[in-house]
Amino acid sequence: MTNVIEKIQAKYPSVIKEHIEFRDETSITVSADEFHDLASFLRDDETLRYDLLVDVFGTDRLKLGHESRLAANYELYSVPHNRFLRVIVEANDPEINSSSNGMQSTEKSALPSIPSVTDIWSTADWLERETYDLMGINFVGHKNMRRIMMPDNWVGHPLRKDYPLGGEPVYFNHDRENPRFAHLGKPLIVGPSYETELPEEMDTEGNMVVNLGPHHPATHGVLRIALELDGEKIVRAMPEMGYLHSGFEKTGENKRYEKFIPYCDRMDYASPMCNNLAYVMAVEKMLEVEIPEHVQYVRVILSELQRISSHMIWLGTHSMDVSGTTHALPMYCFQQRELVLDIFEMICGARMTTSYFSVGGLRWPLPGAFIDAVTSFLDVFSGELKDFEDMLTKHPIWIRRLKGIGLLPAEVAIDFGITGPMLRAAGVPLDLRKVRPYSSYDQFDFDVPTATEADCYARYLVRLEELRQSMRIIEQGIEKIKTVPGPHRTADRKVSLPPRAEISTSMEALIHHFKLVTEGYRPPQGQVYFANENPKGWLGFGLISDGTAVPHRLRVRGPSFVNLQATDYMAKGGFISDLITIIGSVDIVLGEVDR
Amino acid sequence: MGLDAGTSPHPDVAIPQTGAKTGEAGFVITTLEEAVNWGRSNSVWPLLFGLACCAIEQISVGMARFDLARFGSEVFRASPRQADLLIVSGRVSNKMSPVIRRVYDQMSDPKWVIAMGDCASCGGPFNNYAIVQGVDKIIPVDVYVPGCPPRPEALIYSIMMLQRKIRAEGTLGTRE
Repeated sequence: MTNVIEKIQAKYPSVIKEHIEFRDETSITVSADEFHDLASFLRDDETLRYDLLVDVFGTDRLKLGHESRLAANYELYSVPHNRFLRVIVEANDPEINSSSNGMQSTEKSALPSIPSVTDIWSTADWLERETYDLMGINFVGHKNMRRIMMPDNWVGHPLRKDYPLGGEPVYFNHDRENPRFAHLGKPLIVGPSYETELPEEMDTEGNMVVNLGPHHPATHGVLRIALELDGEKIVRAMPEMGYLHSGFEKTGENKRYEKFIPYCDRMDYASPMCNNLAYVMAVEKMLEVEIPEHVQYVRVILSELQRISSHMIWLGTHSMDVSGTTHALPMYCFQQRELVLDIFEMICGARMTTSYFSVGGLRWPLPGAFIDAVTSFLDVFSGELKDFEDMLTKHPIWIRRLKGIGLLPAEVAIDFGITGPMLRAAGVPLDLRKVRPYSSYDQFDFDVPTATEADCYARYLVRLEELRQSMRIIEQGIEKIKTVPGPHRTADRKVSLPPRAEISTSMEALIHHFKLVTEGYRPPQGQVYFANENPKGWLGFGLISDGTAVPHRLRVRGPSFVNLQATDYMAKGGFISDLITIIGSVDIVLGEVDR
Repeated sequence: MGLDAGTSPHPDVAIPQTGAKTGEAGFVITTLEEAVNWGRSNSVWPLLFGLACCAIEQISVGMARFDLARFGSEVFRASPRQADLLIVSGRVSNKMSPVIRRVYDQMSDPKWVIAMGDCASCGGPFNNYAIVQGVDKIIPVDVYVPGCPPRPEALIYSIMMLQRKIRAEGTLGTRE
C-alpha cells in the first residue's frame, strides 16, 4: 500500500493528516476541505482507480480524544487493482465539540459539514443521506439531503453518542388490571398519518404520482416506491425506506461483541448463516484469531447451503411476482428451502435464526448425521434444479417478462456500487470468494458465473448457475471435513470457552471461563472493515474498537440497500409491471435495507 | 328409499330407515350465531402483509409442507378490504406504525389480529429508539404467538386458537 500513499503524497503533499496500517488495512485521515479534490483523483487516476465506493458511514468520536468530533469513513475499492482504502474525513464542525446534543433539532446549516461526493460516485447518494439522518453530518452539495430511515418529523440523530438507546422498561407480568397497561389497544398516534415529502424534482402537477407500498404484495416487504407516471410509463421511481428501521447499529454499540451475533440473523433473514459469517470474521480479524481448518470448511458448507436457500426464496417470489398469482413454483422452491432448514435445525435447533457461528469457531460440534443429510439433500436438489430450469428458462412468458428489462451496464453498476449477482450479470466477474478469498474459499474449485446482457434474464441465469456452483463447493467441502473432522473451535482461551471437562480440573480454564462470560474479550484499539460475498452482494461490517468489550462503532453495509439505489435508473421509461420484475431481480430483503 | 338394516354390508352400523342417505331433505337445528361463527371461523382470510423475519415463516405456512389450506386460511388477500385477519409478522417501527393503523382501519368488520413473534408482541430483542414495543400499542390483538420467529406449527396453532375464539363470539353488533 505504500505506493498508493506515495502516489497521493506526490500529487497532494500535505493532504494526509494521519496514515494508519492496522490488520492489513490502510486508512488515511484528511480534512473536509481537501476531500473532494482528493476523491476525484482517487477515482480517476489510472494507477489508483478506486471506482467502487463500498460504504460511507459517520462516526461520533466523542471521548476518543480527537480534535474533530464527527467524521465520515469512506470505504473505497478498486475493481481493476483489487485494493481497499479507507478515507476518514473529519467534518468541519465549528461549535459542535462538547456542548452540542444529538437529541436536539438542529438546522442543517449548523451541522458539521463535509462536501458531498455524489458527483463522483452515485453510490454516495443514499449512503450520505443515511449518515445525515443517523449521525447528523450535512453533506454540502447533495441535491436531496433529507432523512432516509427515520420519519421526517423525527428530532435528533440516533447514532450520536449522546443520544440514548431508547426503549422501555421490561415488565415480567402482564396484568390487565394494572394501570400501566391501560394504553393497550388504544391508538398510539392520533390524527392522520403524516405524509412523507416527495423529492422536489418530482412533477406532481403534470404527471400522476402513485405510491407503490409500503404495503404492497410485490415489494418484498415494507418498501415504498413513489412513482411519477406518464400514462403507464415510469418517469421517476423514488424508493422510500426506513419502514423497518430497527436500530441494529445502535443496538450493537450497546452490547458486547459476541452478543450481536443473534442480531445478524435478523437483518438479512433469508441468509442468516452468511450474515453470521461476515460478522464473526470481522471480529476475528480484529482479534487476530487463528481458525481451525475444520471450522473454515464447515462455515463454507453452511454458507453455500444458505446461498441455495436464499436463492430459492428469490426464485419463488420472483416467479410469483412475474407470473401473477401462480403459486406452483414458490411451492417447489420453498420445499427445497425446507430441506435446507431441516439440516440447520439438525445442527443448531433453529430453522431461520441460527446463530451457529461464534467468534473463534462453531457453537457446537456438527451432529454425526450431518454429512449424510447434506449428501442426500444434494441428490434431491440437483434433480429439482433441472426441473426449475426446464420450467422457466425457455418459457415464452418468462422470457418476454425478463429479457431486455432493467438494463444496468457494468460501468453504471460500478458507479452505483452494485455488487453480487447483479454486477456479475453485467459481465464483471467480481466475487469476493474469488478475488479476496476468506474462510478457505481459495482451496475450493468453483467458477464465477457471469453474463453480458445485464438485464433481468441475465441475472436469473447467473443466479441459477450460482446454485450449481454452490453444490460443487458443498460436495468438495464434505470431502474435506471427512478428512479433517475437528476441532470445532479455536484453542485460544482468550476468545472461546474452555470445554466443560477442563473447567473442573484446571484453575486457569475456570478463570478464562469466568472472564469470558462476565467481561467478554477486549480487542485492541483500532478499526477494521470486513466484507463477504452474501447471496445478495457484499455484506460489510465496520468495527471501531476503543479497547473495551463493547464496540465503539458498529457499521453494517447491507447489499440490498446499496443495490436498490439503481431502481430509478433501471425502471425509468418502463412500465409498472416491469418495475415489479426489476424489484424481484434485485432480490432485496427489507430487514437489511433498513437495518 | 333407505337401506334395510339387515342388508347393510356392515352389520354393526345402524343405518337409519329414512333420511340422511336417501337424498330427501333433512335438517339440523342450531342457532344463527353458531352457524355464522362456524362459517367465519373456517374461512379466515389473512391479509398478504409481512414485515420482517416472521413474514418468511408466514409464507412457509402457506406453502406445501405446512399447508394452511387445511384450516381454511390459505387465501391471502392483498387488499385489506377483503381480509379478515391481520398477521403482524415482525417488528413495528415508529415510521411503520401509522401505516399499520391505517391498514387495520381499512379492514372491514369482523376482523382479528395475530401478533406473530416476539417483536410484534412486545418489541422482542429490539428495545430501542426505533421500534414500537408491541403492536398492541397501536391496534387490539387477539392472539399473541411467542417465538423468534415462531415455527410454522406455532402460527397454525394460533390460527386454531383464533378459530376457537371466533366460535365463541356473538355475531350481532360490532366489536369495540
